[in-house]
Amino acid sequence: MAELVGALGIPHNPFTALAIARGDDAVAESKRLYALLAAALEQMRADTLVVFTTDHYNLFFELSVPIFAIGVAESSSGPSDYPMLPQFDVAIDGELAGAIQAALVAEGFDLGRSQEFALDHTILAPLGVIIPRMDVQIVPIWISSSMRPIPTAQRCHALGAALGRAIEASGLQRRVAVAASGAFSFEVGGPRMSEESHVGVPAPDWAVRVSELLASGDVAQIVAETTPEQLATAGNASGEILNWIAMLGSFEAHPASFVQAQREEGHAYAAWAPA
Amino acid sequence: MSIFAVDKVCRRVVIDPAFAAALRSDPDAALRSARPTLSDRERELLLAGDVGALGRMGANFFLLHQLGRFELLGLTLALYAQRIRAEYAPERSRWAAEQEGE
Repeated sequence: MAELVGALGIPHNPFTALAIARGDDAVAESKRLYALLAAALEQMRADTLVVFTTDHYNLFFELSVPIFAIGVAESSSGPSDYPMLPQFDVAIDGELAGAIQAALVAEGFDLGRSQEFALDHTILAPLGVIIPRMDVQIVPIWISSSMRPIPTAQRCHALGAALGRAIEASGLQRRVAVAASGAFSFEVGGPRMSEESHVGVPAPDWAVRVSELLASGDVAQIVAETTPEQLATAGNASGEILNWIAMLGSFEAHPASFVQAQREEGHAYAAWAPA
Repeated sequence: MSIFAVDKVCRRVVIDPAFAAALRSDPDAALRSARPTLSDRERELLLAGDVGALGRMGANFFLLHQLGRFELLGLTLALYAQRIRAEYAPERSRWAAEQEGE
């Protein structure tokens, strides 16, 4: 029987990963927080990490932009969009991914299948820091949270809940951790950027608010407050919270075992032990 | 007229190194080879690095900023950001005022 052994919430700023790879002291705090995630993941002794993420226009664009898609393959590599970052070959748990797709489609979630894909910085920038040996298999699930229309928070939470059931129902011998990649407030290249940079955090208080709700385990409130209006003011990458909401749906709501916001970066680091 | 052709050019900068190289060595020819075809106005704005105007026309900002990240069409990330901020100065003032009012 497959078993859900914990969950992680992971920011994925590629420039942070790059600075860590270069030994830059300016990101010492982020390095410390990634180390906490690494320790949490190690404690979970996971065979496979299912990662909810947002394709940054690297995989899906011209032919189709699926609202939900899963990677069913044997291996992958990347990060494809940041060649200056450390590059990795990774094992994909195609067996579990196939079982998840079948179970979720049977439940009414139209989850597309990708059979050959590179992974972008949203997965491999942080995982390159957290598990540089890449000794955990990956299952990517992409939620289209950048390009409008994006799915609702309620739908993403339900998708995560179906994932939790699919893992429990799987006959595969696996210890499975679930992760979410992304920020709560972030603007890349758009009008809400800061005065100093091409990126910005237009709604830092929203990131703090979400982190407080994560700490108290009030997932229903996060879902209720993640409205289109809220996301519109929080930046063009703020839909990445939908990855977190899907991850949170995969297990019974309870307080994070640790959560730490970085207000000025619009995101948080968090981990959950099983309920 | 769809802005899709512009978005696609910006995306190819990341995923198609040969196209990025062509855009660096002969921008006009590279843009004329793009399919779907760019309108004359879209091509002129790209050649001028006028990302503010392209943003107003509906270009995707995440994709558009790749022109700055890859330092194409005379842009750098800093220059890209400066032009977007200048174009959207009225909105930015309004948003700042709204935040102060909260």
